[in-house]
Amino acid sequence: MPMVLLECDKDIPERQKHIYLKAPDEDTREYLPIANAATIPGTLSERGCAFCGAKLVIGGVLKDTIQMIHGPLGCAYDTWHTKRYPTDNGHFNMKYVWSTDMKESHIVFGGEKRLEQSMNEAFDEMPDIKRMIVYTTCPTALIGDDIKAVAKKVMKERPDVDIFTVECPGFSGVSQSKGHHVLNIGWINEKVETLEKEITSEYTMNFIGDFNIQGDTQLLQTYWDKLGIQVVAHFTGNGTYDDLRCMHQAKLNVVNCARSSGYIANELKKRYGIPRLDIDSWGFSYMAEGIRKICAFFGIEERGEALIAEEEAKWKPKLDWYKERLQGKKMAIWTGGPRLWHWTKSVEDDLGIQVVAMSSKFGHEEDFEKVIARGREGTYYIDDGNELEFFEIIDLVKPDVIFTGPRVGELVKKLHIPYVNGHGYHNGPYMGFEGFVNLARDTYNAVYNPLRHLAGVDIRDKAQSTPVILREAA
Amino acid sequence: MSACDTAAVKPAEVKLVPKDRGGIINPMYDCQPAGAQFAGIGVKDCIPLVHGGQGCTMFVRLLFAQHFKENFDIASTSLHEESAVFGGTKRVEEGVMVLAKRYPNLRVIPIITTCSTEVIGDDIEGTINNCNRALKAEFPDRHIYLAPVHTPSFKGSHVSGYAECLKSMVKTIAKTKGTPNGKLNLIPGWVNPGDITLLKYYMKEMGVDANMLVDTEDFDSPMMPNKVIDTHGRTTVEDIQESANAVATVSLARYEGATTGEYLKDAFEVPHNLVNTPYGIKNTDDMLRKISEITGKDIPESLVRERGIALDALADLAHMFFANKKVAIFGHPDLVLGLAQFCMEVELEPVLLLIGDDQGSKYKKDPRIAELKASAHFDMEIIHNADLWDLEKKIAKGEVKLDLIMGHSKGRYIAIDANIPMVRVGFPTFDRAGLYRKPTVGYKGAMELAESIANAMFAHMEYTRDREWILNTW
Repeated sequence: MPMVLLECDKDIPERQKHIYLKAPDEDTREYLPIANAATIPGTLSERGCAFCGAKLVIGGVLKDTIQMIHGPLGCAYDTWHTKRYPTDNGHFNMKYVWSTDMKESHIVFGGEKRLEQSMNEAFDEMPDIKRMIVYTTCPTALIGDDIKAVAKKVMKERPDVDIFTVECPGFSGVSQSKGHHVLNIGWINEKVETLEKEITSEYTMNFIGDFNIQGDTQLLQTYWDKLGIQVVAHFTGNGTYDDLRCMHQAKLNVVNCARSSGYIANELKKRYGIPRLDIDSWGFSYMAEGIRKICAFFGIEERGEALIAEEEAKWKPKLDWYKERLQGKKMAIWTGGPRLWHWTKSVEDDLGIQVVAMSSKFGHEEDFEKVIARGREGTYYIDDGNELEFFEIIDLVKPDVIFTGPRVGELVKKLHIPYVNGHGYHNGPYMGFEGFVNLARDTYNAVYNPLRHLAGVDIRDKAQSTPVILREAA
Repeated sequence: MSACDTAAVKPAEVKLVPKDRGGIINPMYDCQPAGAQFAGIGVKDCIPLVHGGQGCTMFVRLLFAQHFKENFDIASTSLHEESAVFGGTKRVEEGVMVLAKRYPNLRVIPIITTCSTEVIGDDIEGTINNCNRALKAEFPDRHIYLAPVHTPSFKGSHVSGYAECLKSMVKTIAKTKGTPNGKLNLIPGWVNPGDITLLKYYMKEMGVDANMLVDTEDFDSPMMPNKVIDTHGRTTVEDIQESANAVATVSLARYEGATTGEYLKDAFEVPHNLVNTPYGIKNTDDMLRKISEITGKDIPESLVRERGIALDALADLAHMFFANKKVAIFGHPDLVLGLAQFCMEVELEPVLLLIGDDQGSKYKKDPRIAELKASAHFDMEIIHNADLWDLEKKIAKGEVKLDLIMGHSKGRYIAIDANIPMVRVGFPTFDRAGLYRKPTVGYKGAMELAESIANAMFAHMEYTRDREWILNTW
């Protein structure tokens, strides 16, 4: 089967190059969706901007850092209260956003003074906080404010603070992916190896590309503690600014989200010779495999096997209970990019679920190579899917549950299809062994939600009766 | 401290002061384009096209989804680097044509600028002329209204953006004065579906044929057996055209739509009446009296009764539970000032009001502030251009002792951390269920709000064991 031109795309036929239906005996040499390309205006794409890729996804996760957004207030307002990444210090990162609140006069005469004032105010108002990331936005990039010079000046006047700058306005690149890249490369260029921390174990690693969604990082940290591995830096879940300056000290880079954070792992390999090891942290078989690979690197295989055995003994019966009941259910995944390939095989292997359609907002072709390799035949693989395409695909594949964001979740609710939050989760964490049981539970509760059956009943129709939905105790 | 003590010591002082910082920590409002998008979705068969980076749309759609638990269709021109250099008008033209082709029922596209496209200086009016020619050639039987909405993010806030988009849509669609239709234009401002439902009920009870600009009642939309999705504004192109032929306009919000009432007066000689936003008993009385005076319709017994029921409920609460309780209110200026008036009616003491954005000179002329100055028997501070850090800091420093906070969900952590009861009002209120369905305006709204306040205080008394035994008998 070649690439698919959906009915709703007949007036924008270039969309055919972005949608693939996998058939037997085909491979990605012949068919690979075009990805990381500019969105067609007016298509109601799901994509965000480069600024949010840097601030909201990576930098804003840090638990001890002021995120100063140099621009009008909207960029701060919009990247606040949209994520679920708690911290062990009271969620400083989720409570506050900072904006220079650019006004027209700053656009006309330049905004550097306003930035300097706002930076000093922020440090004065929050005297315990000594670290800051400054971001440009569309208008401040267009007028050419030199945020690096301002940061340098403030650091000179305040010797106890450290400031990092990120210059990726919302219009750069084609999606949030550009912002990931800019932050990764900027950080290694300017901040890594500017600090040394105490090393307490002979086994040290950076854990890269995990943002502590609903406590993912903290759950996995219990594994690393048991294994005796010191995590030098978490990039960036529950992480600190200063730990990230010490990334050069680790012996191994373990990468979960290769899309958002693979760049820094590659640079750490190139500049410091630290090997990069990619793992999947979602799913039992993947998590076990990941632990085995990490432990093999350090030569602590027995510890790894003991941990896996302990976790599986504890969680596998629960997982299997859900697997029995989710077997054969059809799932669609409409998220950012990497979760497509992280999840498609893990929900199939561990839960018996068939993933029938997947759409990525900002994945690159490399991500599609991975997901098509891992995914099923008869499944749709979509780059930058838009709303009308979603309706048509739903009609074609009839999923029992969709892993996606809350807005699309509200949309598919009207079609009597339950959603599970594929970005912030419903009730996570979802990583690790315990986490995947949480994912299974949330999926089960969604699929067996009585309301979707009640919604289909038309009380005017005498031939129908309202069903009683029976569920087993989990 | 009792009210008489205060009066005896010194006369009450009501101060109107701006925030004393330049930058913002925790903004109360989003930027202008966000407000413009909200006005746009209030019109039926309308998809706003936001000319800017993708984040300017994606996050705002998410914000609306969070508040209403619904999806709304809003498109982006997906501005990228080449547009920043060479101008982005081609992307507007492409976006308009793509929307027109893929959405056959589409009739209105507000073209909403952002900070980036205003800095670039794209000629929106000229582009609209080009688009109109292209649309006419491609779709000779359709008329799609393209409204230019200039909403740079570095001016005003989502409040002024809302007003700007509403005015532009009316200017674009209401072109000629026709036969008087006997209708009353009612401009409710940025309120909830529950408010719209109540206002429409009032008009029906009075026998007034009201033209609601805009009618957002269906922002609370059902899950139906036939899976139809009816989440959209109810105000049609015809309704907007007819606004020029109305007997009069009544604007209920000074900052959220009154400029449209002024426009209809200037362009079509439709008399314009701005009344106080109907929060509380007196403001509702004044609104109904004004409408009765304009239309010659009597206020019916049913509303006298509803008023009586509300007063009856309020009387149970005011001097027993509310008297002398100190309240802070933040949010939209029409909401904050209106709720402050309501507080005075039920003996709550609104000691701190926070209203945002750069409209200081306008607020100085607001008669509601003059009224509060004349009527307050306690010290009151009104901070304009405020952010939520102002509130947090005043509480932390003990500069204000509060019994209650009223505001939207963005301030939730202030209440959580300071352990002060908080009642969610305004926009957005994503951390409480179903508030969009409840009225806050009118007699019923006053009653329901007061009861929410009382119940929040009662729960707080119980959790803090603060004279919870009072409620052993009530």
